[in-house]
Order: sequence, then C-alpha cells, then structure tokens
Amino acid sequence: MRIHRRLAATTVALTLAMAATACSGSSSGGGGAIGNGNSATASAHGPVKRGGTVTVAEVAATPNFVFPFAPATNTDGYNANLSNPLWPNLVYSGDGAQSITNPQEGLTSSITYGNDDKQVTLDLKSWNWSDGQPITSRDFTFVYNLIKANASNWSGYVSGLFPDDVASVSTPDAHTVVLNLTKSYNPNFFTDDVLNEIPLLPQHAWDKTSVNGAVGNADETTAGAKAVYAFLQKQGGDMATFATNPLWKVVDGPWKLASFNAGNGGYSYVPNTAYSGQDKPILSKVVESPFTTDTSELNALRSGGLLDVGSLPQNDVQQAGALEASGYNIADVPIPGVAEIIPNFYNAQVGPLLRQLYIRQALEDLIDRPQIVSKIYAGYADPGNGPVPLKATGPWASPLEKSGGPYPYSPTKATALLKAHGWKVVAGGTSTCQTPGTGAADCGAGITAGEPLKLSLTYGSGTATTDEQSAAIQSSESQAGITIALKSEPFNTLIADLGPCTAASHPASACSWQLVDYGYNPYGLYPAADGMFNSTGSGNVGGYASPEMDQLINDTEYGSQSSSFFAYEDYAATQLPWLWLPNQDEILVYRKTLQGVAPLNPFSGGLNPEVWYYTS
Amino acid sequence: MVVLGVMVLTFVMLHLEPGSAARATLGLKATPGRIAIFNQVNGLNEPLYQQFFTYVKQVLEGNFGTSYSLQQPVATLISQRLPRDAVLLGLSTVFALALSLPLGIYQAVRRGSAGDNVLTAVAFVLYSMPDFFFALVLIDIFCVQVHLLPTQAPQAISVSGILSDPRALLLPVGTLTLVSVSGYSRYMRSSAIDSLAQDYIRVVRAKGLPERLVLFRHVLRNSMLPIITVLGLSAPGIVAGAVIAEQVFNYPGMGLLFFQAATSHDYPILLASTLVVGIATVVGNLVADILYSLLDPRIRYVSV
Repeated sequence: MRIHRRLAATTVALTLAMAATACSGSSSGGGGAIGNGNSATASAHGPVKRGGTVTVAEVAATPNFVFPFAPATNTDGYNANLSNPLWPNLVYSGDGAQSITNPQEGLTSSITYGNDDKQVTLDLKSWNWSDGQPITSRDFTFVYNLIKANASNWSGYVSGLFPDDVASVSTPDAHTVVLNLTKSYNPNFFTDDVLNEIPLLPQHAWDKTSVNGAVGNADETTAGAKAVYAFLQKQGGDMATFATNPLWKVVDGPWKLASFNAGNGGYSYVPNTAYSGQDKPILSKVVESPFTTDTSELNALRSGGLLDVGSLPQNDVQQAGALEASGYNIADVPIPGVAEIIPNFYNAQVGPLLRQLYIRQALEDLIDRPQIVSKIYAGYADPGNGPVPLKATGPWASPLEKSGGPYPYSPTKATALLKAHGWKVVAGGTSTCQTPGTGAADCGAGITAGEPLKLSLTYGSGTATTDEQSAAIQSSESQAGITIALKSEPFNTLIADLGPCTAASHPASACSWQLVDYGYNPYGLYPAADGMFNSTGSGNVGGYASPEMDQLINDTEYGSQSSSFFAYEDYAATQLPWLWLPNQDEILVYRKTLQGVAPLNPFSGGLNPEVWYYTS
Repeated sequence: MVVLGVMVLTFVMLHLEPGSAARATLGLKATPGRIAIFNQVNGLNEPLYQQFFTYVKQVLEGNFGTSYSLQQPVATLISQRLPRDAVLLGLSTVFALALSLPLGIYQAVRRGSAGDNVLTAVAFVLYSMPDFFFALVLIDIFCVQVHLLPTQAPQAISVSGILSDPRALLLPVGTLTLVSVSGYSRYMRSSAIDSLAQDYIRVVRAKGLPERLVLFRHVLRNSMLPIITVLGLSAPGIVAGAVIAEQVFNYPGMGLLFFQAATSHDYPILLASTLVVGIATVVGNLVADILYSLLDPRIRYVSV
C-alpha cells in the first residue's frame, strides 16, 4: 500500500505513507469495524475468529530505519510505518477515518493547557513497556534530552518547533510531565501537529552508548545525549538486526517486530502480549509483503492467493469489479493533503503574470475540478476547493470550501476577468495583453503590450491519471486563450531540478520553471499551512509572500481562537498562493472475510491492524 | 584502462547533470540547513576532483559508499541484487541458447519448409512483442486464469533460496527465455545457412559423414561465432538487470536499483552500477575473444 502520487514533502508525509489505506464508504459491506476501545466479540459478519495472518502489500514503501528518530539525511517516509506500531506517539492521530485524536490509543490520559497556553501538562497513562517496566515521565525527559541535544540531526526537526519551543520540562511525579513553552501555542496545533509526532522511548533500556554498555542516565548531559543518540541511530540503521536487536524488542505499541528481510524490506509483526492499551491485537501475525510496483501488486491481487490487503492503482480502477467478484472489498480512502499547481512568482519570464491575482483566478476558474474528479478519478478524489481537504479533514473545512470554494469552474468568468484587465482573449488560441500598465483595467506591472498568456506546466511522470489531469487542464485553459505547454519528469528529478524561488533568491538555473504539479502536500491531523504559504516556509517554493497570510498562519499556530483557522483558510483559498486541484484518494482492497479494516485511519502512521479480525 | 575510463566518464557526466542530489533525496521542503548537512555528510561540498579521488580510493578499498536514498552501503545493495539477476538472466540465457541453437540449425536445414516458416513467424511475433506485455499475458493466463503459477518471482535473496522455488522462477525465466530465443535463433539460422553453403560441408558430406555429425561437428561449431559475439555483448546486460521483468515479477534486482537511483541523483549507486557493468563488458568481450579462438583455431590474437 502506498500513496500513488509521490509526497511533496517527505517528513510530514510519514504518517500518510502507510495511510495508503483509510476508507469510508465500503462498496460492499466492509463495515463491522470493532472501533477503538471496543472488545471484539461478534459482528454482523459472524463471530470473531481469534488469530490468523494478514498479508498486506507494501508497494515501493521499504523502510530502512527502525529507531523512531531518523537522521536528518534520512527522509524515507516509510520508516514511520515500521516504527509507529511499535512506539506510538504521545497523541494518537485519527480514530477510524475521523480527523480527531484518539484518546484510547494515545499515551496520555489528559493534556491540559494553562498559563495562557504557554504551559502544557501531560498526564501519562499507567501503561507498561513490553518488558514489564512502567512507562514514566522519565521516558519523556529521555526523548526530550536526546532531541534537544541532536535536533539538527533529526529528520523531523522543524526550526522553532519541538524541542526549540520548550523552555523547560519538569516531572512532578512519575506520570506527569509539565512543558513550559517559549510562547503561547494554539492548543489544537500543539496537540495535533506537535505532540502527535513524538513517541516515548524506554529510558530504562536504551539510555546507553554501546551494545554492552550499562544503562544509566547518560542523556542528562549534552555530551551523553549525543553519544546515546549516535549509538541508537547506528543501531537503528542496521537493517539486518531490526528484528533481533534486543533494543527494539522493548516496545509500548500493540505490535512487536517478528522479522525483517533486509534484502527486500519485507517485515512482519506479532502481537505485543504485554500491550497495555485497550485495542489488543486479535490477529496472530501481520506480514508486510514488498512489491516493486503497483503492477506486480495488482497481479497478486488478481491472482487472489497472496494478498489480504492492498490498494488498487487509480489507473486500474476498472479492475474493481473483478476484484470484488474474486472475494475482495473495495473502499475509498481520502488522504489528508492538498493537491496543487504551484506558480513561480519569480520566474524571469512569467513571474509578472503569475503575480497578478486576476490571472491566477482566471487559471483556477478554468480548472474543471468536478469533471476531473468524476471522469479521471472515478469519484475517488477530494474536490480540491481550497487548502483543506473536505473528505479527509472535513471538520477543518470552512463553509466557503464546503460550498464549492471561491472559484467554481467558469470559463465565462475567466474570460471576463482577462478582458477586464486589458487582455485580448482568443479562445482556442493565445490571449495577448492589449493595455499594459498598472491601472485597475490594465494588464498589470511588468506585463508588456502584446505579451502572450503562455505558461508551461511541469508535473511528475509515470501516472496515467496525472497525465490525463494535466491534459484536461491544458484543454480547459485554452478556452480563455491561456496556452499551457506540458512537460513531465520523474518525481525525484522534478524536485531535484526545480529549485525554490523567492524574492531574495531566484537564480535562473533553478527558477526557470513556471508552473509545477508536485503531486500533493500531506497534512497532519491539524491541516496547518506553516511551511507552505508563509513567506519563509521551506515548502513555499514559488515564493508567494503576503504579510497578511503570514499573520493569519501565525494565528492558527500561536493564537488561542479556533476561529482563526477558517480566517486563514478562506484567505488562502481566495488568494491562490497555489492553484487548487482535486486530491486523489487511495482505493483500498481487502478480503471480505477480514473485518475492521474500513474505515482505515489515514493519520496515525500505521494501518491499525490491531482492530482487524477474521470472522469465522 | 577501459574500466578507469568508465569511472572518469560516468563520474563527470553524473555531476554535470542539472539538479541537486540533496533536494532529490530530502524532498521539497528540505531546509538550507538540512541540505548543508546532507552535502557535508556525503562530501558533496568538496571540489569535484577531490570527490573523484575519494571515490577512487573507496573503490580500491572495496567500498562503494552509501546510497543517499536507501541509506545502505552500496556494496550490500549490489551483493543482494546481483546474484538475483545472475540467476534470472543467466538461466534465461542458458535456456535461450539451448533452444535457439537447435532451432536455428533446424530452420537452416529445412529452409523454406512449413516448419521454418512457422518458427520464423513465431520468432518475429516474440521479437516484436514488448517483454512487459508478453509477461503480463503469461501472468494473466497462468496466474490469474488457471492459478497454476505464482505471480511473483522468488523473494529469497540467496541463490540457493531462489533456486529452491522453481515454480516461481518459471514465468520470469520463461518470459526472458522466449524473448531471447527469438533473437538468438535468427542469428543461428542465418549463420547456419552460411555454413551449410561452405565447401567443407560439401566435402564432409561427399566423404559420407553421417548428417548428424555434419550438423553438430561442423555446422554448429562454425555457426556459433556470431552467437558468441552476441553473448559477449550480453554479459553486461546480465549484471545490469532486466528492469521490466523485475517490475512485473516483483523481483528487485540491479535494473530497478539503477533505474530508481537514476531518477533520484543517487550517485553512489549509479557510479557503482556503471562500474560493475563496465567490468562485465570488458570480461564479456574477453571471454568472447577466448571462445572465438577455441571454436576456430584459425583465429589467434597475437601481439604485433
């Protein structure tokens, strides 16, 4: 299972990689989910059968690091898939397909904000590690000390956030952690996007600097913390010992790693019999079976023998009926993320065009998103009305987005916009600027007389649906005389070749691109925009800059008003720092005899097989 | 010298390629700080000549570096994948030869017959058919429709593990064998037709040598030379992998490793793979030259 289009940002994407499966609306009776915290005794599909093995397809999603904190140079988004079921995060993201935290599976019994949201108190549950030792607040300070001393060498490090945002940590008792933050944080943001990225680590077993060294309190000094971190990272990269290293046998999640094949990245889990949570695994084994491509995965699904859970490539959606007939359920899995075309505001040639809001509005008006969703994605996509996905993170979608967004498909409106700004519109040809200048009825600053409205769109190659979507956009934009030249490149080549362009730096060598479709940007539980649209965001590769946007994004992270999120969202949806596109879903395939799979959680970084079971 | 030339050329060409290895590996949101760490850890901030000397030094020590994207020693990755391709492509080459040599001779002897025409038509069909399509057709028939064979090639890493699952090998080896047979048999047919027209064949026939001996002692041996040339040229292909078959049959090998590295600027893998292929090219041609002289004593390589 994997996401079809490559993630535009790898670090945040970790939770989504495995999220390849979350589903709602099973087409043929995929219900019967046990749900979190429920005991599995019976379902509408028959009595629960304890035990059994489930084989899950792992398509081009091989992990290579097991220690939950990977080095800065390792951005393999699939490592979280491997480690999260072993060491879940403090806050457990998602409950079924709902974009909420799941207190049943999280490690805290309560999270309390105080001192004007500058102090967070975590009450840890009285859970145990798999070796019987209790989980305590010392395990949190162990994590904090390691990360504080090694932040720059952690792949999940974002400057200004954890641990930079923590002024001090105190542990009044064995189950209480108090974080004094450097400033007030929006509790939604801190809980859903910061604490949900941090697991606890077993200090009593891992606080050492060599294989045979004694466990102590080395992390309490900076030098010691660096040595411990270096040791754990070295061990964490030794794929041959993932399943045998005693370090990784001490877990607090529902699963233990039973095997890992360093040659092909396949692995398997067995239940952690000492798991303290309520959702204790019912299956006796989960096998992650690696596949090089979705072609080979689909072949395996069609043959019906090997796989119990997999995903159906969007390109092969017509196979859904055949798979259902051969004993599988099909389910839709909305993915939390935003799909987009990024305009390069500092391209030497077309930057002046793309800096004009009315041109971006015309471009968006001409993208027929509903038709793309229905014709290209067969309904398996989010409509893409703005920066927040309606299907995956509905509670955070504003009324404006829910009503269709500010720019429903309208070639008429696009044509009128261009004409109102001094363009000679040539439908099916290329429109040209007739009245250059900076007045309200002129083309805008930097746009010369006779300048054609021609743009190039570069996108990731290898997916037929993306080819079709790009061709559809090219076709619909031509209705207002906007000529789009298409070019596709492999995703990694795309991100290597097309550099970030800002007001401060837009070298010709890296900023020659005009419009780019990288796929999509994934979200955590809280669909915040930090890094995407703020002027200093590392993912703001097109160079969009707006003090108002910066302030609104700031409010979503540091303000206390929940309403501030909608204010940001509507502003972003309207201002079009990016052009919004439909975001394709995953299509989950699972055996009809297997229950609890759907709706699958796309937020947790795991497939949650602890709630899966066979029926007798 | 050839191998050294390959090392220099590939190193220079790869580093002339536009784009950033750090961004390709770290992703779209890579911060300048992380890019700096990446470049420092991987020596990419050193002058190019220094990077090259470091690379040569590492190679001489048997160290091909660490993959940027897979974060594993490249030597380990190659040692895991090369035997897999050697088994898959080696077996298919052996089977292809075993089929195409007698087929080629048969077609040459029965030139113009119905059998020759049918085999020629089959060879053309197989030769013109994309191997991924051919593989998918076989999978559909044998795995999806009649459930006779597994869809995947063996998933073991060791040669013995791979060979212990012959059912899983059947389709991938069969696909590559049949595609290769179509080419080899055409070479063999053409070469055998030439041999059959030679005077020495008429002489041995006139002397009353049984036809079986004529064909296998004289025609086969003299017709093998073009095949040896093709085999010599195939040697690098055997270690370079078969990216299509690896994808369709879920058999990660050298081809897929190289392909993925090529799209992500993973220099250590690309350099090591091209070096391995370069060495295989030299060795393949050397072996071909030796076989020439063994098959035809008139061919001798002497220093001038």
